[in-house]
Amino acid sequence: MSRRTRMLSASLSTSLALALLGACTAQGGGDRDPDGRQPGVATGTVIGGTPKRGGTLTVLSNQDFAHLDPARNWVMPTMDFGTRLIYRTLTTFRAEPGKKGSEIVPDLATDLGRSSDGGRTWTFTLKPGLVYEDGTPIRARDIKYNVERSFAPDLAGGPDYAQRYLADTEGYAGPLDGKHLDSIRTPDDRTIVFSLRRPVAEFSYTVTLPTFSPVPASREKGVQYDLRPFSSGPYRVESYARGKKLVLVRNTHWDAATDPVRKAYPDRIVVIQGLKGGQIDDRIIESAGVDASAVEWSDLQPSSVAKVLPKPGIRQRLSAERTGCTDMLALNTSRAPFDDPKLRLAMQYAVDKEAQVTANGGPALNDVATAYLPPSLTGGRAAAPVHDGPATGDVKKAEKLLAEAGRAGGFDTTITVSTGDKTRAEALQQSLSRVGIRLRIETVDPSVYYDTIGDTAGAPDMAISGWCPDYPSAATFLPFVFDGRTIKPKGNQGNVSQFRDKAVERRMDEIAAMADATAANKAWTALDREIQRTSPAVPLLWERKPLLVGDNIAGAFGHPSWTGQFDFAAIGLKDPSRSRG
Amino acid sequence: MIAYLVRRLLGVAGVLLAICAVTFVIFYLLPADPAAAACGKTCSPERLAEVRRFMGLDQPLWRQFGDYLTGIFAGRELGSGPHAIPCGFPCLGYSYENALPVWDLLMDRLPVSVSLAFGAACLWLVLGLGAGVTAALRKGGLLDRTLMVGAVATASLPVYFTAVMLLYGLVRLTGLLPYPAYVPLTDDPLAWAANLLLPWIALALLYAAMYARQSRSSMIETMAQPYIRTARAKGLPARTVVVKHGLRSAMMPVLTLFGMDLGALLAGAVITESIFGIPGVGRLFFDALQRSDQPVVLGVTLLAAFFIVAANVVIDLLYAVVDPRVRN
Repeated sequence: MSRRTRMLSASLSTSLALALLGACTAQGGGDRDPDGRQPGVATGTVIGGTPKRGGTLTVLSNQDFAHLDPARNWVMPTMDFGTRLIYRTLTTFRAEPGKKGSEIVPDLATDLGRSSDGGRTWTFTLKPGLVYEDGTPIRARDIKYNVERSFAPDLAGGPDYAQRYLADTEGYAGPLDGKHLDSIRTPDDRTIVFSLRRPVAEFSYTVTLPTFSPVPASREKGVQYDLRPFSSGPYRVESYARGKKLVLVRNTHWDAATDPVRKAYPDRIVVIQGLKGGQIDDRIIESAGVDASAVEWSDLQPSSVAKVLPKPGIRQRLSAERTGCTDMLALNTSRAPFDDPKLRLAMQYAVDKEAQVTANGGPALNDVATAYLPPSLTGGRAAAPVHDGPATGDVKKAEKLLAEAGRAGGFDTTITVSTGDKTRAEALQQSLSRVGIRLRIETVDPSVYYDTIGDTAGAPDMAISGWCPDYPSAATFLPFVFDGRTIKPKGNQGNVSQFRDKAVERRMDEIAAMADATAANKAWTALDREIQRTSPAVPLLWERKPLLVGDNIAGAFGHPSWTGQFDFAAIGLKDPSRSRG
Repeated sequence: MIAYLVRRLLGVAGVLLAICAVTFVIFYLLPADPAAAACGKTCSPERLAEVRRFMGLDQPLWRQFGDYLTGIFAGRELGSGPHAIPCGFPCLGYSYENALPVWDLLMDRLPVSVSLAFGAACLWLVLGLGAGVTAALRKGGLLDRTLMVGAVATASLPVYFTAVMLLYGLVRLTGLLPYPAYVPLTDDPLAWAANLLLPWIALALLYAAMYARQSRSSMIETMAQPYIRTARAKGLPARTVVVKHGLRSAMMPVLTLFGMDLGALLAGAVITESIFGIPGVGRLFFDALQRSDQPVVLGVTLLAAFFIVAANVVIDLLYAVVDPRVRN
């Protein structure tokens, strides 16, 4: 998924750069951990040690959840919040930091699913004794029901993988009309069988999405289900005033013995919404009274970074996990000049990626990207670069490639960026001028940025665009970004480069049809390198998500599967008695 | 008097209807598509068409507007069959983003904005009128000049500046006040006031300056009237002259201003609410704009129009109380 995550990060850049430059100078720049250059705790460490059971965890937020209805929940941190606290899914991610967090384990199901028919049919068995918040049993048909709900036009906006993968869904518009899908069968209360339109090797990962959590038909309230999802997880909704406050209390019927993942340390979780971002930072930095037991929901504000990094006491309460998204410079391959692969290749060497790091908040919050696929999709390590040379660019090689393309003196080109990314565009302008490329920058308001670059007819030569995988499988990345068949004339979001390559598309279909997930992952990584050779985009940055916690918080770590948001399955308090102040 | 009132109320209905129609057309012409926003990232054209149909956006404009008006007076059902959502009287549409009728959302947020507006209004009336009248009675003196320079300075500071300064001074530096977070009056009156004090002061400073200048000039003008001289000449005590004869008629223009300001503020102070994280109507409006939640934007616009128009009617009626000439 791309859009919302990018919208947030787009507003970060400029002032963050200034703040961090100051901060880095103050530290002498020598404070690097083995993982890279993390500003807070190192990847894989947990802030505050192991929590104690009890108390009230407060979440301070500047916004409301987009949707808590599991059929509609498709914003990364909200998916984390929903699936870790309120509803369980067939499988889920381990509640562990670092690489281990990307591994999946059975949740409602007894195993990771059994495929047959070459990966076209997937069967899951539910654990015995699973119940909802009122003690009634969770049945296989309830999961089927929620998957069906995701097809209803009034419950739109959720993950669309069921629509992509399930067989025979033409014209299906949800279960409210009394119609049901034949491609999901529930022969008994504990068995659910999915028939897919093509083999999907990573379907065990697909069912981590909230679409695959149970909703009993008797609890159906249409769009209003959003206000009070019925709990199958460790907490239930006590009250929810939209945009103001959500209170979760323990679901006493949830049985930890059936749930190997969710620790459910706090007794209550209170989310206070609609606060001002900078004030949230200040409150958590001060960590006074109840704020000591609070975490923040949205990224640390750029203006607050300088209040955190130079102070070791506060800095150790900062999490900055990789978002798992890749930030790219998309080259418009549909027309001159970037319809020429030689010229696109020259861009790989002309761009100074280090300058991009500096312009986007400095080395503390960014790593140089060496491939399209983020490290989380290539075995936890950054892929070896296809185009070697320093991260600052290779001017000689770029000039040589330009000469071969018949553009020895450079050329004129344009880029459109949102106002927050202006500094980055200027850094780009500067690095391209080294080889004679004259870049004209057009800035637009962040609210219309994606509409502007998504209008294929009027799209600029270049745009800064990012993509985040929905779960750790390259199947949720490369096909969204480089499959020419997904290009839409308006609202074109993933394939901003408008890259069309028959061989690549054929290969994507082949890999998608592979039944062996490991082999598929290898093939995706190879395809990534293959695409880089024709260079429809220049990989720029891998960003991190800065989040601060109060000093009574324990068990906090950014989870790699949800763009570095805290894992709400494992977070809690050091001293629960302090939280009721 | 009754005929006058009826005439005024009919006028109010006409104005509201016109505002409603204009706002409706503007939203209809805007490029932002609420169906696309609801449909999400990878929405296919077929699915988008379904979502549009569900939200009633495929209907012609006159039909949508007709349904909207009917809903306000009689309530209505949105959609049909098993998907239908009941939206009772007075139905101002349905927020698909929030999964709630717009009226419920407004009524949920209104107490917050009313708390903010009335508290701030009390403060700025006391401060503004006090400063204005004092300055007028000492026209040209040191106090007058000090007060007016102060008023110009305060009025020229935008609220987002004063708000941030107040936050820094009263919360971060000294810890005198808590970070504002709305507590309902019914829950804890003391916490209600303590949490709202900061936004009250921020808003009041802005308005008090305007009111000080307005009431000063109005007061000076009135005090120069022949009837004031007459009152003094017939030996009335100075206090009676100032309060009963001077202030009373000097307040007429201030009252008009106050009606408009309070009316506008009741429907939410967007900037103040956003800066202090107060979940009032203004904040609701701001969030709705960002999420293309048009029914909410339309609802808040109507509410704001209603308050301003209603405030005008109330002010007109109050004229009669303040100014005996109107009564006859």
